[in-house]
Amino acid sequence: MLTLVAFWNAFKPYLAFVVIVLLTVLVAWLVNGLVGRLMRQSAPQAAGAARRVAAIVVALIGGTLALQTLGISPAILLLVIGLLGVTVLVALREPLGNYGSKYFADLYTPFRVGDTIKVLGWSGKVLEVNAMSTILLSDDEQLVSVPNSAMIRDVVVNTSPQAWKEVVVPISISGNVDLPAFESDLHKSLSKLRFRLDRRFPPVVTTKSRTPQSTDLSLILMLRRPEDRESLVVEVNKRVAETLDRVRGAKR
Amino acid sequence: MAGLSICINTQTPLVQFLEPSDGVLVGADPRTSVVLEGLREGIDYRFSPGGVTRMVHPMVRRLLEKGVLREAHWVAFNPRGPRTVQMGEMTLHHVSIGTERMDGYGKVKEAIWGRIHEIDSAPQHDDLFWTEAFAEYAYYNRLTAEQIQRLDEEHDFDVFYVHDFQQLPVGHMLGTLKPKIFRWHIPFDVSVIPDHWRALLSTYLDSYDVIVVSARRYAASLAALGPRGRILQLPPYVDPAEYSRPAPREAAKSCARFGIQRADQLALVVGRMDPIKGQDRAIEAFRQIAAEFPSVKLVLVGNGSFSGSKQGLGLPKSAGWRAHLEELVRAAGLEDRVVFTGHVNQTELDALYERCWFTILPSVREGFGLVAVESWLHGKPTIVTRRSGIAELIQDGSNGLLFDPEDPDGLAQQMRLLLDRRSAELRSRLVRNGRSTSKKCSLDEAEAAEGALLAEVTEA
Repeated sequence: MLTLVAFWNAFKPYLAFVVIVLLTVLVAWLVNGLVGRLMRQSAPQAAGAARRVAAIVVALIGGTLALQTLGISPAILLLVIGLLGVTVLVALREPLGNYGSKYFADLYTPFRVGDTIKVLGWSGKVLEVNAMSTILLSDDEQLVSVPNSAMIRDVVVNTSPQAWKEVVVPISISGNVDLPAFESDLHKSLSKLRFRLDRRFPPVVTTKSRTPQSTDLSLILMLRRPEDRESLVVEVNKRVAETLDRVRGAKR
Repeated sequence: MAGLSICINTQTPLVQFLEPSDGVLVGADPRTSVVLEGLREGIDYRFSPGGVTRMVHPMVRRLLEKGVLREAHWVAFNPRGPRTVQMGEMTLHHVSIGTERMDGYGKVKEAIWGRIHEIDSAPQHDDLFWTEAFAEYAYYNRLTAEQIQRLDEEHDFDVFYVHDFQQLPVGHMLGTLKPKIFRWHIPFDVSVIPDHWRALLSTYLDSYDVIVVSARRYAASLAALGPRGRILQLPPYVDPAEYSRPAPREAAKSCARFGIQRADQLALVVGRMDPIKGQDRAIEAFRQIAAEFPSVKLVLVGNGSFSGSKQGLGLPKSAGWRAHLEELVRAAGLEDRVVFTGHVNQTELDALYERCWFTILPSVREGFGLVAVESWLHGKPTIVTRRSGIAELIQDGSNGLLFDPEDPDGLAQQMRLLLDRRSAELRSRLVRNGRSTSKKCSLDEAEAAEGALLAEVTEA
């Protein structure tokens, strides 16, 4: 009997650890879904990032609590995480700034690869937007690398013809989504907005990159009136999210 | 050079699977893979008729034989076919969409086709790319692109060769930097393309490194749209070795099947049952000369296209058009003078070419018109619509006779010329010069051009 009690006492913290980890996974999954729902009208990339951040926060809290059951002090754990975070931020301030700017530039700056832009006194065709910088080909065929942080801080002028019309919506879908069905449904959904769009330019879905886990697409639309831009982006993002939900649901 | 790995994409499949009377449809299960060698041509399957497959297949075979190609994979729409078909060194892959999507896909491709051929200028089609039907068209093309992408991961192709206007979006959807060639088989006249279509067509065309068209005037018109890639004019072609004279007994047997007597003089029209093929023009012209030449019969060879067949989209166009033509024949009192053969096999087709007095290509619009080349290869004079790509190769009265498809009187006049007892010299000149012209559309001539094109885009 005594052996059983001793075993239970020894085993209890591990059981609690496992239960907390499982609960953490469950809560992270629920929070991920909840944030996704709350951000339905945001750009899919922004919604995806928010979902990941929320899930990581839940995982950190759950992980700390779980480790506490094993006798590891949460204060020390938080201190280590905090110090590591500060060190990383200080060491990688510039690259992280550029990376973050790239992320926001993808979502909110009004240009894309192929456009001609002016920034920091440079003018050229955008060849590439990588994690750190935006590469321009200047008129005299020089390659110009502009840090992405400049795209957020400074004035960027898109001089491409009809640039004001163009709305580029980045879409990232996981590898298990039926892409043909998604694109087809999206066309149907967007056809309802045709009176807000320039009918000479139907929506174009382009594959940007692809891995077994996910496919990055860009959806290009052309506005009919410039003042519709903001509301249209919200509406299109909502329709993209709804279409993704529908296609995932149909697959299940 | 080790030879290139190529992926070909067409809408029409090279092989269609038939419902044999003695068994189960071979291709009924789209999950299966079959080896063609074990199956019976004409019973289990048949080769798709029509210019595209008839042209592409011999070329691929030839390039494989010569080692220009190392392997060839051919992706096509075939909802009633097995998943893959092994055919010698070539593998056929089939794409299938659900019946609920076929209607929309069919509507869009027919609307594009009708507008390009100037037979359907309905203003509601200006907004075609915003319709729900277009979503199904996009679905089919994306599905095809996904299949090609998966094959590319497996085979690492050197080049993609996409044929047919229906497949145009595939290049854009592929999202690869590898070289892509597109062959536009139908006419191209930028002035008939609605403003609302141009941006999307340009986006799709821009994804190709080379766009091949069949006639000089199509190339000039396409240039006005300013595609990113190079425009190449290259006439379609056939393999002359596939055209043989049937044995007299075989020819007589085939003709007897269609009620054709030894004394009959045949005016032959070969083409699918479709308003664009202009069989109504041929019937009207024939009506005008029928009394003058009582021994002449008009023979209309052809059935529906793959899209109209139950193996394909099941579009009802061909049945309706044939009923209309039969009504025209009845109204003209020519029931015993006009023969509708439907689909014929190669032996029967050879027999009809062999027995005919001349051929007519009466199309309202025709991307090229390989039927005229077939006629030359069989040593028969041909009367050709001016609204065809091949008309660029024809000098009226030298290697063929031309007519305007809106002028049946003109066609009747050309038919009279060839039926006239004193026409022997004209007929022999047309045949002699036609045979010489046919070399421009032969596999041998095209092999060098296609080989050079593949070498150019792959820098092999």
